[in-house]
Amino acid sequence: MVALVPTLLRQELARLAENDARIDGRGRWEARDITLETDCLYNGEGSAKVVWGDTIVYAGVKFEMRTPWPDRPNQGSLMCGAELRPVAGRKYEPGPPSPESIELGRVVDRGIRESGCIDMESLCIVPGEKVWGVMIDIHVLSDQGNIFDACALAAIAALRTATVPAERFDVGEDHTLKVNGTPIMASFTRVGGRYVFDPTEEEELGGDERIHITLGDEGHLHSLQKGLKGVFTPEEFAEIFDVAQSRCADLRKLVANQEGN
Amino acid sequence: MSQGQTGAELRLVTPGMAIGPLSGKRVGSGALAQNEQIIATRLGWVRELNDTVSVDPINSTYMPRSGDLIIAIVAEVRNNLWFMNVNGPFQGLLPMSLAPWKVEFGAARQHMGIGDVVMARIQEVDECHNVVLTMKGVGLRRLNEGSVMTIPVNHVERIRGNNNETLLRLRDVCDCRIMVGDNGRVWIDGSAEGTSWARSAIKLASQSGHKLSFAADLAALEKNAPKRGDA
Amino acid sequence: MGGYGDVKLLREDGLRLDGRKIDEMRPIEIEAGYLPAADGSAWVKHGLNVAVAAVYGPMEAHPRKIQRQDRCVIDVRYNMAPFSTSDRIRPGYNRRSREISKVTAEALESVVICERYPRSKIRVEIEILSAEAGTRCVGITAAAVALADAGIPMRDLLVGVASGKVEDTVVLDLDKAEDNYGQADLPVGILPNTGEIAFLQMDGDLSPDEFNLAMEYNFKAAAEIHDIMVDALKRRYEGGEN
Repeated sequence: MVALVPTLLRQELARLAENDARIDGRGRWEARDITLETDCLYNGEGSAKVVWGDTIVYAGVKFEMRTPWPDRPNQGSLMCGAELRPVAGRKYEPGPPSPESIELGRVVDRGIRESGCIDMESLCIVPGEKVWGVMIDIHVLSDQGNIFDACALAAIAALRTATVPAERFDVGEDHTLKVNGTPIMASFTRVGGRYVFDPTEEEELGGDERIHITLGDEGHLHSLQKGLKGVFTPEEFAEIFDVAQSRCADLRKLVANQEGN
Repeated sequence: MSQGQTGAELRLVTPGMAIGPLSGKRVGSGALAQNEQIIATRLGWVRELNDTVSVDPINSTYMPRSGDLIIAIVAEVRNNLWFMNVNGPFQGLLPMSLAPWKVEFGAARQHMGIGDVVMARIQEVDECHNVVLTMKGVGLRRLNEGSVMTIPVNHVERIRGNNNETLLRLRDVCDCRIMVGDNGRVWIDGSAEGTSWARSAIKLASQSGHKLSFAADLAALEKNAPKRGDA
Repeated sequence: MGGYGDVKLLREDGLRLDGRKIDEMRPIEIEAGYLPAADGSAWVKHGLNVAVAAVYGPMEAHPRKIQRQDRCVIDVRYNMAPFSTSDRIRPGYNRRSREISKVTAEALESVVICERYPRSKIRVEIEILSAEAGTRCVGITAAAVALADAGIPMRDLLVGVASGKVEDTVVLDLDKAEDNYGQADLPVGILPNTGEIAFLQMDGDLSPDEFNLAMEYNFKAAAEIHDIMVDALKRRYEGGEN
């Protein structure tokens, strides 16, 4: 999955950065156009589709009934995975799950799990016998930059609009899954020497390391990840942490507006 | 219905669609003869010229031809040659004998490394799609400045326009050097603002250069162009 | 006598559970060029099935062992998303998907003018986002539109469609209940221009007459679906939009 980076690209990105400009004319912290749709997959108990610039991802929530783990008899479970299949782009060659797709799934998972938005005990049906296992599957159809944020957004939107299929399993009435809060991920990539929000595929190609920040409703950190080769300073982190507050707030509003529909 | 440059109506065909009876006509590219009919094999516009029926494809991959002037990127380096990404299905080869410098065996890396961008020509393509490039020629060189963007190969003509009309106009407005490779890669060299404007203009020309509305759209974009003479 | 248990698939009035006549197709919608960065792509909704296909290529055929000196190979991956079915599908190697990928590739190789691109491969990525019986057919249809969108030369637009049998009656375009509880399933891939068949599978129980009727339904539906495929491609590019 090694893409060819033209020398001129990195040069151009550096020059643009010096002039506080980006290759597509956006501001440093400005996002591309985003559309969010929920309840869009027939067989998913919860579902969401995010179109973020030219990046397109789907998230589906499925429920299974299981026996609880012996050491947690009153708790259900949450699992989140992502697939970066060859459909997502020319650079994705066929093969077993790549480290990139595994990282993607696990980073989105941690953000949602650590926010505590799902109370595991609320997933208990019969203590010691029956609990709900919630599974979020993320499917990237088009990677044109910033798939982490698009996937995290789709995942939480799908979760928040999911219906627990109690009737199908004969354990009561269908009801909306109880999700407390809306953890949101904001990712920053070093492009042309400085961090920007929402890189395009070209910016990622010519860029360096990335940092993923998931914030809860109160602006608390729930997960962090730095990926790819590169180093950053505490000051740089402080700056993007600050910007993340407003980026996450905007995205949270997007999810709330969608639920209103 | 869309209009061709002559104002004649263009007919869009899909693979397998009947274009018309064979009737002694010749079958060009994008079509084949089947049971006395001419059938389209590609998605595109029907073209009939001098009794030859062909289909101009809407989308196609770059297929290198001898003589093409292209912008290539070094993909791999060996002791005596470079493998070049030419934006087509296969990589091209640049042997040290066709490089613009005097290269000692084993010293190829000193002249060009992976990621370097060059202006080159296609020297030769054989039936097996082996492509050989040359950098011996006027203007052929490694590009050390500027930026590169890629447009669909089929849109190259739209950027150039009739007699390079469109291209010259774009260059004029943004005061940048612009070179459109036959392989769909475009090289822009100028100020930061000029380059930015050129990128949007080329994207516009690529998407709408063939439409009647293009002239007006381009004029609107020109209003936002960085003024020449501004420091 | 019709299937498992007492599931009735045909109503008193002779219509099917969803109100369709026995030779009526589920609604179908197609959009060409759905994925902005693929060389060609398509989105197909057929009943509650949703398939997305992306085409990348032609490109050099790697690994070396799949390369053919005289033509290109069509490299298909048919995959069902974990959330596409009622019971979640665990991601990973799936034998059914592997088989469908193989026969779909072979069907497409019969339509694509492969000699045009020796030593190359064309990647066809078929993703099923929602499944409701007939996914391999939707996949074929999506792949064909995506290949045309990418500008790949083909003899025809391959159309995927299936008929079957429920309660001893031959019906067109099985839906989920009919597929689960019915008596036969006959998916095909048809070249509408010549009437040739490039994809064929069948399971269940069909007499020669029933088979012929099912094929008749398939051909009739293929013509309808073909019109919708052409319309999708025209909508994307006519009016000089691209």
